[in-house]
Amino acid sequence: MKRTFDTGNAAITEGAILAGCRLFSGYPITPATEIAENMSRRLPQVGGFYLQAEDENAALHICNGGSIGGLKAMTATSGPGFILFADPFGWAVSSEIPVVIVNSQRVGPVSGITGAPGQGEFYFSRYLTHGGNYETIVLAPNSVQEAFCLTVRAFYLAERFRTPVTVLADQMVTDGWETLIIPETDEEFRGMGLESVPRRIHPGPEFYPASDAIDIPPVVLGHNTGAACSDWTPTDRGHDTEDVTWQHKHAWRLIHKIRNHRELIDESETWFLEDDPEIILVAYGTPSRVVQSAVRAARKEGLKVGGIRPISLWPFQDALFSRKASYLTVELNWDGQLVREVQRAAAPGSSVHFWGRCGELPSVRELLAAVRRLKEGKALERDGWRTEAW
Amino acid sequence: MNGMAGVLRRGEMRDVMEKYVRPEKNPGTACSGCGLRLAHRKVLEAIDELGLGLGDVVWGTGIGCSGRQTFVTWKGDTFAGTHGRVYAMATGLRLALPPEKRLILTVGDGDAFTIGFLHLLNCARRNVDMTVVVFDNLGYQSTGGQYGVTTPLGSRTDSSPYGAWEPNWTQGGFDVLRILKEAGATFLARHTVLQGHEPVESLKRAIRNRGLSLVQLIYPCVTHYGAQALGTRDLAKIYDWFRDRTVESIDADSSDSFTTGIFHDAVGSRPEFAASMREFVASVQKEGNHG
Ligand code: SF4
Repeated sequence: MKRTFDTGNAAITEGAILAGCRLFSGYPITPATEIAENMSRRLPQVGGFYLQAEDENAALHICNGGSIGGLKAMTATSGPGFILFADPFGWAVSSEIPVVIVNSQRVGPVSGITGAPGQGEFYFSRYLTHGGNYETIVLAPNSVQEAFCLTVRAFYLAERFRTPVTVLADQMVTDGWETLIIPETDEEFRGMGLESVPRRIHPGPEFYPASDAIDIPPVVLGHNTGAACSDWTPTDRGHDTEDVTWQHKHAWRLIHKIRNHRELIDESETWFLEDDPEIILVAYGTPSRVVQSAVRAARKEGLKVGGIRPISLWPFQDALFSRKASYLTVELNWDGQLVREVQRAAAPGSSVHFWGRCGELPSVRELLAAVRRLKEGKALERDGWRTEAW
Repeated sequence: MNGMAGVLRRGEMRDVMEKYVRPEKNPGTACSGCGLRLAHRKVLEAIDELGLGLGDVVWGTGIGCSGRQTFVTWKGDTFAGTHGRVYAMATGLRLALPPEKRLILTVGDGDAFTIGFLHLLNCARRNVDMTVVVFDNLGYQSTGGQYGVTTPLGSRTDSSPYGAWEPNWTQGGFDVLRILKEAGATFLARHTVLQGHEPVESLKRAIRNRGLSLVQLIYPCVTHYGAQALGTRDLAKIYDWFRDRTVESIDADSSDSFTTGIFHDAVGSRPEFAASMREFVASVQKEGNHG
């Protein structure tokens, strides 16, 4: 094991390289630039390619192109670049091509604040392209070490599911410095619970079967298989068609190859859930670190509080919210995003509340104050325009 | 099309089409009488005359009439890209493919010269080994006939009912190929599909080039450009208009004509991108791991 002290950006870089990433294409953007910089240094050392694109749209298209040539590929960006992925993300979803996307969320909308954390792309990461008819996988780390592990996992899932996988981080995770442990042997890699699959090559020319099966090798060009790779509605030969029956089969495959294998994707951390919590705090990413401390502090005060941290965000883990309780989501945005999904998933009779902020974290004290108010049946604090309630 | 030449061409067309095109996609989706089939065939003829087989070429496509006519038609390995971004995809793919594989993209004028121009320019800057064949139907025809950057000034289209007046990139002293030359492309040519074997010769040179080649192949759209801008769907009249407008000189005045020929031949003058990338990576690896 190599024990270092490093940033989330470095962790993501090393995770990607260990997972077999050999092509990175990106466009400099705060706070994800360091991933590109690290990649530009590290990839050539391992025989990989670093390519600075003309924009983020091109970056992900370049990754897609590398992936259909057989390279494991990744791009990394922040909000203003993430919006330019709609086109190539959709192509990779529909063509069923593995690729990994990292988004270090900052304050938005648009340029917002560059060097401060936000969580404005919770839904956008789910609906990153148009047209619906697909399911997607999004993973959300809350530490440097987890950024490393989830990047490895993103590559693993992308290969098995033939699909883009998004690592939805935030500025504090990627810029933050923490201890980082990197495995140096296969045994250590497996010992840390990490998994990897090499790129395999679809034998072609038949396209993917109309089933929810995973572990079918993706289409790779250049091996004379007569492979056809297209985002158009495919027949069983991969040809384009305007037939709604084939379209339905295609959509069914895109949706259910993911939804029917949730056991490989679902991941979460919970605190005091088995301890009869009346109030449950919910957060992902960096705010979940404060939530964890707040839950412990509340327990010390004798308050019946628990916590939920979804690690895989999409597909959304409804089952985590099957307990009737008062839920409080803690998010780095003012408009409330995660809260809407919790509201939908929460057991009947639950109440769902929102505590939002953007660009800086809440304090444990503030969250405890919010918990006490909820316990007393009061509305969350409002301070003029500085409203924290939803 | 009429006359002896037409009969002979139809015979040839079957041959290369049968040889290279997936049977379920032959003869393709182009409207009857459209010059797009001729254009498609020219590319196949060039591949055939170079002696290339299905395993030698990876074929990518864009969107629009040209995309529809050609995507997933190549019996070998093939991919369909998004509108205007196939150049970026091909850049990534080029890094993954063996250098000897020929990478051919068939796209439209809108795809290459407007929505995808940024990406195309960057492919030219890098001199990425690919052959871009622009099937130029003088505007946006698959959406019903709107003007684009190669539509002759004054043309009436569905979005220029009073005649196209916006500056384009083929008249008024502009030439889109000059922009690409300045950007670093190493082979550039323009022809119309009615010019017999000339376009095939240029395509062969383009495909052989280990760098960014682009061949602009102007072809007659019967259904929209013919009907709207030329006021006729009569093939003979449309083809005559094309022939009258074609000048067999690339340097001629383009204000009222399609100037044709090889615009720029700098084959071998610049390093190819993927080769340079491999050399660079090897040099970093040789110097050792700087961790
Ligand atoms: S619309 Fe015009 S360019 Fe398109 S296929 Fe028909 S005739 Fe050809």
